[in-house]
Amino acid sequence: MFAYVVRRIFQMIPTMFGVMLLLFILFNWVGGDPSYILAGKSLSDQMLANIRTQLGLDKSQLEQFLIFVRQVITLDFGTSWSTQQPVSSILAARVGPSVTLTGSIMFVSTTLSVLMASAVAYVRGSLTDRMVTLICTTAMSVSALVYIIAGQYWLAHKFGWFPVIGWSDSLATNFVTYLPLPVLLGVIVSLAPDLRFYRSCFVEEMNHDYVRTARAKGLSEPKIMLKHVMRNALIPVVTSIMMSLPYLLVGALLLETFFSIPGMGREVIMAVDKSDFPVIKAVTIYVALATMVFNLLADVVYKFIDPRVQLK
Amino acid sequence: MTSETNLNDKKSRSLWALGWKRLRRDHIGFASLWVVGAFILLALAGAVGVIGSGWRDEVAKPYAPPTLFRNLGPKHVELTAENIDAANQAAQQAAQPAAPTGQEGAAAPTTGETGLSAEEDPLAADMAEAQKNTGQYQEAQVVKAETLPMGADLRGRDVLQKVLKGTSTSLLVGLVGSLAAIFLGTLMGGFGGYFGRKVDDLLMWFYSVFTSVPDMLLLLAFSAVMRRGISTVILVMALTSWTGTFRLMRAEFMKHKTREYVKAADAIGASHVRRMFIHILPNVTYLLLVQFSILTVALIKYEVILSFLGFGVSVTQISWGSMLAEAPAELLQGYWWQMVCVTVFMSILVTAFSMLTDSLRDALDPKVK
Amino acid sequence: MKRTRFALAALTALLISGGAFAADMNKVLRVTFNAPETGFDPAKVSDNYSNMVLENIFDPLITYDYLARPAKLIPNTIEAMPTISKDGLVYTFKLKKGIFFADDPAFGGKKRELVAEDYVYSLKRHLDPTVNSQWSFLAEGRFAGADELVAKAGKNALDYNTPIEGLKALDKYTLQITLTAPAFNYSYILAMPAFGAVAREVMEANAANTNAHPVGTGPYTLKEWKPGSKIVLEANPNYRKETFNFAPSKDAVDAGILKALKGKSVPVCGRVEVAIIEEEQPSWLAFVDKQIDVNRISQAALQEALVIDPKNPLNVKLADKYVQQGIQLQRIKDLEVTYTFFNMQDPVVGGEGKEKIALRRAIAMAFPRSETIAAIRRGQAVPVNYIVPEGVAGHNPGFKGAAEFNPAKANALLDQFGYKKGADGWRMQPNGKPLVIEYATGTSAIDKQWNEYWQKAFDSLKIKLTWKYGKWNELSKANHEGKLQMWGLAWGADYPDGENFMMLLYGKNAGDSNSAWFKNAAYDKLFEASLKLPDGSERNKLYDQMNKIAVAQQPWIFGDTRVRSWVAQPYVKGFKVHPILNANYWKFVDIQK
Repeated sequence: MFAYVVRRIFQMIPTMFGVMLLLFILFNWVGGDPSYILAGKSLSDQMLANIRTQLGLDKSQLEQFLIFVRQVITLDFGTSWSTQQPVSSILAARVGPSVTLTGSIMFVSTTLSVLMASAVAYVRGSLTDRMVTLICTTAMSVSALVYIIAGQYWLAHKFGWFPVIGWSDSLATNFVTYLPLPVLLGVIVSLAPDLRFYRSCFVEEMNHDYVRTARAKGLSEPKIMLKHVMRNALIPVVTSIMMSLPYLLVGALLLETFFSIPGMGREVIMAVDKSDFPVIKAVTIYVALATMVFNLLADVVYKFIDPRVQLK
Repeated sequence: MTSETNLNDKKSRSLWALGWKRLRRDHIGFASLWVVGAFILLALAGAVGVIGSGWRDEVAKPYAPPTLFRNLGPKHVELTAENIDAANQAAQQAAQPAAPTGQEGAAAPTTGETGLSAEEDPLAADMAEAQKNTGQYQEAQVVKAETLPMGADLRGRDVLQKVLKGTSTSLLVGLVGSLAAIFLGTLMGGFGGYFGRKVDDLLMWFYSVFTSVPDMLLLLAFSAVMRRGISTVILVMALTSWTGTFRLMRAEFMKHKTREYVKAADAIGASHVRRMFIHILPNVTYLLLVQFSILTVALIKYEVILSFLGFGVSVTQISWGSMLAEAPAELLQGYWWQMVCVTVFMSILVTAFSMLTDSLRDALDPKVK
Repeated sequence: MKRTRFALAALTALLISGGAFAADMNKVLRVTFNAPETGFDPAKVSDNYSNMVLENIFDPLITYDYLARPAKLIPNTIEAMPTISKDGLVYTFKLKKGIFFADDPAFGGKKRELVAEDYVYSLKRHLDPTVNSQWSFLAEGRFAGADELVAKAGKNALDYNTPIEGLKALDKYTLQITLTAPAFNYSYILAMPAFGAVAREVMEANAANTNAHPVGTGPYTLKEWKPGSKIVLEANPNYRKETFNFAPSKDAVDAGILKALKGKSVPVCGRVEVAIIEEEQPSWLAFVDKQIDVNRISQAALQEALVIDPKNPLNVKLADKYVQQGIQLQRIKDLEVTYTFFNMQDPVVGGEGKEKIALRRAIAMAFPRSETIAAIRRGQAVPVNYIVPEGVAGHNPGFKGAAEFNPAKANALLDQFGYKKGADGWRMQPNGKPLVIEYATGTSAIDKQWNEYWQKAFDSLKIKLTWKYGKWNELSKANHEGKLQMWGLAWGADYPDGENFMMLLYGKNAGDSNSAWFKNAAYDKLFEASLKLPDGSERNKLYDQMNKIAVAQQPWIFGDTRVRSWVAQPYVKGFKVHPILNANYWKFVDIQK
C-alpha cells in the first residue's frame, strides 16, 4: 500500500508539469495584455512599458516559465494583477462560500438521490421506476440557466419566499436565509443525473449472482437491499463523491453570479475577463492538485472497502 | 416438432440485428428514435435553408405576443424610431431661441443633412447629386404583424423561425462536436490501448493533464483564444470532451488486443493500423454509439452555457443558447414566450435523446440475452 | 447633591451620545454597483465604481455643491476658493486647520493632521513612474519643475524629498501650485476624487497593496472589502465637524431635502454597504424587494419600472405600483457622449480623400440611431449632435452635427463614388479591391443587441461586415497599435469643461484618448488656441469651427447621451443625484425607517 501511494505521488509530478505547460501556453495566447487594464485612461507607451516591467512581462518566455515553476513549488502566486491583493488571501476568502454552497448542494442531493435511487431500484421495472426515470430525464433536459432565472424570478421575487440575493459572514445566517434558494435550485439541477446514476449502480449490483443466492437462501428483499446490496453499491457512490470533491472548489458558477455569492466560480470568470494571470494560475494549480490527491484517496478508500480490488 | 423450431431459433444474428429487434420492442426507445430522427431532419432542413431562413426578418412589432396567449403578456408600450425623431424635433425647436451668445444656430445656410454650410462640407455637391438618385433605393414599407404563433423578440423577429433555425445550429454543434470528440478519443485511446508502453504513457499523460483542469476553465481559456462562431464552439468542445471516449476505447482496445481474432489477423499479415481499425474497431462501435448520444446531449447543454457567457455563436447565427441568453432581460420585463419556446423544444429533443441512449444501451448490450 | 447628580447624568448622556456630531451607526445605506470595482488607491484606479468609494474616503481640495445646478465648485478642505494670479499660473490655497486623517498604525498611535505637504505628495505621486497613475495625463507637464524631477527618476520611484517650484507648501497650511501654462479649468481637475489627499506614511507602509489600504480625511473609512463582491464603509471618527448647510437651487426636490437634512451632522448614516451585482435581473429585483436602498434602473428594467409616453419618451413617470410604495424617482442626463469611430489611419476606412469621406458618411447615414434609442435605450437617451454634451461648458444646443438617417441616399452616394457592386452583390472599393470592414466588439448580450443594428446598417449598404471580438482591454491594446477599423465607445466627463471632450480628437492624443487616430492640422491649431481661453463666446466660436471640421471629415459617428433614472426607497431622505460626483449623496442622506 505504502509503495503504491508513493509511486502515485511520483506520478503526479509529470502531470502537474503538463498542467503548468498547458496553462502557460494557453494564457500566453489568451492574455489580453493586462497592462492595458492597469493603464486605464492614459495609454502612453512609456506607461505601458513601466507596467510591463513591473509585472515581469518584459522577460523572455523561458524566464517567465521558470518563475512560474518556482511559484508552483512554493505555492506563492504573488499578487493579483488587477486588484494587487495577495492571491492566496483572495482565494482563501472565496473558497469558503463556494464550498459551503456546493457542499450543501452535494450533501442534500446525494442523500436524497441515494434514498430515492434505492427505493426505485427496489421496484425496478415497475411503472414507478419508469415514471421516475422519465421525470428525471425530462428534468435534466431543461438547462440549469432556465431553472435559475425562473426560480429567482418566481420563488424569490413574485412569491417572496426567499431573498433575491445576498450573503453574510455568519454561517448560521447563510444556512437559514441565503442558502436555501440557491441550494434548492442546485439540487433540482443535480438530483436527476445523480438519481439515474445511483439507480443504475444499484440495479447493476442487484443483478449479481450473490443476490440471487441470498434470495435463494430465503432472505427478505429489504434485508438483501440494506445488508448486502447497499454495502457493495456504496463503493461507486463513495468514489463518485470523492472524485467530485475537487470540483467543489470552483463552485457553481451560474448560481454564484445570479445570487451574488462571493465564491471561486465568479472569481475565475472575473480573472479570465481581466486576464489576471496569477489568479487563474493559482486556481487551476490548486484544483489540479486537489483532483490528483482526491483520485488517489478514492483509490485507497476503494481498496479498503473492497478487499478484492488489486491496486497496481 | 421441437427440433425444427429450435433450429430456427438458434440462427445466429449479428449484434446490430439483435439490437434493432430489441429496440423495436422497447416502445419508449423506439418512439424516441422517431423524435430524434424528426429533429435531425428539421436540423438538416434548417441547415440547407428550407426552414427558418427568414429568421432575421423583422416581421412583427417588437415583443408581439403569441397569438393564442396574447392576453398573458405585459402591456407593451410601443416605442418606435418615429416617436424618437418626433420628440427630438420638438426639443430642437424649443432649443433654438435659447442658443447662448457666440453660438451659431441653424441660421447659416446648410446642406440640410449635417448642419454644415455648402463651403464647409467637402461633399456638398455630391450629396445634392445623391439626393436625386435616392428613388431607386427606397424600401417598401412592411406591415408589421401584431401577433405571431410563438410571439416575437425585441427586434420583432419570429420566435418560431428563430427556434427552428436554432435547432439546426444547436443540434449541429452537438452532433459534430460529439463526433469530433469521439474521433479524437478513439484515435488516442486506440493507439494507447493497442500499443501500450511508451505510447500509452504519453497518451495517459495527456489524459491526466486534461482531466486535472476543470472543464469550465478549459472551455473559457480555449474560447477566449479563438474567434467566435460555430466552428470555434465545436472545436472547443471537442478538445475538452475527448477524455471519456479515450478512457473507454483504451480499455476496450487493451481487452481486444489479446483476443484470438486479432491474433489471427496478425497471422495473416495485417498491419497494426489495419488490425486496430479494420478488425477491432467494428467490434466496439456499439459502445461508441452510446457514447455519441451521451456526448451530443452534454454538448448541446454546454453550448447554452457558453452562449450565456458570451462565447457562443456570432450575430448572424442563432442557436438555442443565444436565444436563452436574451431570457433574463426579457423575463424581467415579463416577456416569457421566447424562453418557454426554446425550453420546450430543447426539452423534447434532450429527453428523447436520453431515452434513446438508455434504450440503445440496453438493446446493444451483448451480455443481455 | 441633586445638582451634581444631574450634572453627572447630563455629562454621561453627552459622553454616551458622543456629542451632537456622531454619525448614527444604526443607519445603514445599502447601494449596489453593477460592475466590479478595482481598488482604492486614487492614483491606480479610474473606473467609475472605485471613484465612488474614493469620493467618500479621500478629500480633494475642492468639491461640488450638493444642491446647486449646474454643478458648482465649492471649497472642501480649504477655507475659500484659491486665489489665482493674474497670469493664471499661480494658485494659492489656504487649508482649514484641524482636519485629521483616519487612525492608522502607520501614524504611530498619534492623530495625524492634514497639511499642505500632503497635497504636494499626493499630486507628485501621479507623476511617479513606479506608481503608473491612471491620471498622469492630467498632471504631466502641468507643474513647473515637475518634468525634470520625473526625468531624473527614470524608471525608479520619484524623489519626493526634492522640492519643486510647481508644487510648494509655503507653510504648514498654505499650498501653492504653479502651472506651466494657464488652465482655466484646473480647479475642476483638482475637484476630482483622484486628487484627494493621501498620507505618505500610509502609502509607504503599504506599498505592496495600496489598493486595499485607503486612509483619508473623508467622511468614511473602509471597514470591509471582498473584492468584486462587497464593500463596507463606516463613518470616520476623526472626521471634521460638518453640518448640512447648502442653499437650495430651483429644483423642486431641494425643499424636501433641506427639510430633512438641515443642520444634521455629516455623515448622517454611519454605515454604507455596497453589493456588487452584475446581472440586471437580480439587481433590479433586489431593489424592489427592499434589499437595496438606492439604485439606478438598468436598461432591461426601464419598461417595467416606468411609464413611458411614446409621444414624449423623456417624460416618464414611475409605474403605479412603485408610486404607491412611495419610491422616489430622479432623472439626470449623463455628461457623456457615445460614438463609433473610424480609424483615420486605416487604408480602407481612413484618410481625407473624398471617396473615403463618402464611405464614412454613407455608413453614418445608414445607422438607424433613432431605432436603437427606441429599442435599446427604451427612449431614455438623446441623440448627440456636438462633441461637447449638454451640461458641459462649451456645448452648443443649436448645432446639428449628426448625419441624417437616409440609407437610400447613402447608397446613391456610394454609387457615385465608384463603390460598385461585384458579382456577389457586395460592394467593392473604387480601385476594384474587395471591401470588407471589421467592427470591434465585446461579447456580452448587450453588445449583441447593438451588433444586430450594425449588421442591418451594413447589409442595407451591401458592404461586407466582419466582427473582431475581444474583451475591452484586448481591443484597447489593438486600438493603441492602430489595428482596429471601427469601434464603439463612450466618454464620460472627468470634469464639466468642454476641453475634456474636444481633446478626444486632438492629434497629440492619437491612439490614446483620441481613439480615432484623427490627425488634422487645422483642428489641432484651433484646439491649442482654445486652451488659452476661458469658457465664453470666444472659445465657443473655436469649438464650433472644430466641430465643423469633425463633421466634415466624419471620424466619428455620433451616438447618444443617456438619461438615467435613479430610484430610492421612501425612507431614504435627502437624496439628489449629482452630475459629476456619483456618490456624494452617501454622506448626506438619512435613513428614516
